[in-house]
Amino acid sequence: MQTIPIERINMNDRRFCISYPLQDDALLSSIRMEGVIQPLLILDKQPHTIVSGFKRIEAAKELGFTDIPCFVMDMDYKKAMQASIHSNLGRVLNIIEKAYCVDKLFTMDFSEEEISGVMSMISLGFYEKIIKRMRALANAENFVKDFVLQKNMTMQNVEKLLGFADHEIKDITEMLNRIHTTESMMREILQMLSIMKLKYGNIDFSAIKGMNNIYDLKRSLKYSINPILSGLEEDLSEIKNKCALPPSIDIKVDPFFEKEYIDIRIRANGPEEVKGALLKINSILDAGYIRSIFGLTTY
Amino acid sequence: MGLQPIEFVETKGDIVRNCPGTKHHICCGYKTIDLVEGCILSCSYCILKEYINTPNIKINSDIPYILSQISEAIDAEKTHILRFGTGELSDSLAIDRRYRLNQPLVEFFGETKKAILELKSKWAQIDHLTPFLNPYIVISFSLAPQRIIDKEEKRTSPLYKRLKALRKAQESGCFVGLHLDPVIIYDGFEKDYEYLIGDIGRIIDLKRVLWVSLGLLRFPPKLFNRFLDENRKNLLYGEFVRGEDGKYRYVKKERVRIYGMLYNLLKEQEKDLFIYLCMERKDIWRSVTGMTPEDNEALMGLFDSRIKTLYGGIL
Repeated sequence: MQTIPIERINMNDRRFCISYPLQDDALLSSIRMEGVIQPLLILDKQPHTIVSGFKRIEAAKELGFTDIPCFVMDMDYKKAMQASIHSNLGRVLNIIEKAYCVDKLFTMDFSEEEISGVMSMISLGFYEKIIKRMRALANAENFVKDFVLQKNMTMQNVEKLLGFADHEIKDITEMLNRIHTTESMMREILQMLSIMKLKYGNIDFSAIKGMNNIYDLKRSLKYSINPILSGLEEDLSEIKNKCALPPSIDIKVDPFFEKEYIDIRIRANGPEEVKGALLKINSILDAGYIRSIFGLTTY
Repeated sequence: MGLQPIEFVETKGDIVRNCPGTKHHICCGYKTIDLVEGCILSCSYCILKEYINTPNIKINSDIPYILSQISEAIDAEKTHILRFGTGELSDSLAIDRRYRLNQPLVEFFGETKKAILELKSKWAQIDHLTPFLNPYIVISFSLAPQRIIDKEEKRTSPLYKRLKALRKAQESGCFVGLHLDPVIIYDGFEKDYEYLIGDIGRIIDLKRVLWVSLGLLRFPPKLFNRFLDENRKNLLYGEFVRGEDGKYRYVKKERVRIYGMLYNLLKEQEKDLFIYLCMERKDIWRSVTGMTPEDNEALMGLFDSRIKTLYGGIL
């Protein structure tokens, strides 16, 4: 092990880097307190190329360190790549780091058997679809990677997101960065945006860009791709408003307006309340509101 | 064509089955014969891709066993005139010229004279069968505007060939069936269907059409994502909801409008056409056709009447 001046290490050469992001607050605090305990692995050439320790050197530099402990090794690029991956396997890799592993192995012409072995170690199946997704993610812009990590996106949603054009991804990530979403909401939104794009050839972001609420966003997208269904929902809501139903009575219609029947629910605490509810139902029946509701489901 | 491996099998068990139909919708009581499993045609909307988990085409080569199963089904039915088809798990004609699979079935139905065999296809090659055709065989084609055939029904015959084959079948003494199924909503589809139905009326003798089915596009949820991945604009252009059977269908208001339009266009061509809706709800039947078959049994009754009207006493 040697102590090497940081300026003699090429920090821009990231061909063996699989860490993302390089900024790590916990590591920064630890190095501030204890210094760099675990030496870097660097190649014996000038300037030195880092094999592992990208986060450590980033933190050390930020803390104003001028030199850093290193193991200087002489090895070929393939061995160095393998060393980089294996030195990181002791921790849980995030999805971007896994994507980097896959992409770099392909870029460095590892055999299918070698790649398949590494993919299995990082819990990825060696399938064309997965490889394609991972390589696309590895080569995506940093704001996309940050978004994927911040939202803790599943591979399925990542694939949907990367299916959009670059300028659309920018708009989508900007829009969704402002909104709290669950994984299933994200899936729904991305699916609706895909349908909108497929149907109309583009996504009209001007109508949805300013939305800060997931429900408004969903409603707006739904109106755009399901205008008939949204219209029926509005009609139903209008009729129900006119009915002025008390909380003890509810009229339920099939959400897709498929079923011919409707459900009328009464909650009552005794015969008098039942009588009152029936009187109310009779009055909305006489006013033609029930018929109007049936008109939304039966033709 | 013919890139998929062909496998000859002798499957025992239920080769002749009731068409599975779909829950909460009215179905016609069709009997399916699993003569071939898998298809060499490549329709983008085909649900077989979800159900059959192998690229192989399986041909059931035990014809005596299949015929015995058909016989049993005919003998067991006391009420209705049975309608059989081989187009459930495959296209009835796509590989038939090469393998001559239908000929023994065609001859069997001609000799038995108790039931109908429908050969349903998008592959317009029937010359090899015409010497054997008889009144108990119905040659049917699925028909769609050429624009849809070009985009979504790869490797199938063009529309004009399908219509010519139907005409040829009629000239050979057969009744024919027309299946406007799946009807797909896309930009300008109304006009295309108007022209299509006009062409049908010009080329085919509509008095000798045994039945016409109408079925709007419907598919299981898995296919939705596939259509999206494959950018199938035509297939996802309309507005879909999940039906009671879990399948995606166009929103009911649209279904009623489109069925009504097609029904009226067809009736304008020939008022006596027997038109049925494939796997649809009671209320849609009522508003489109004015008929209200209460259940599958009632629809089978309508088929019986239609067959009796066209066949007289011979069935």
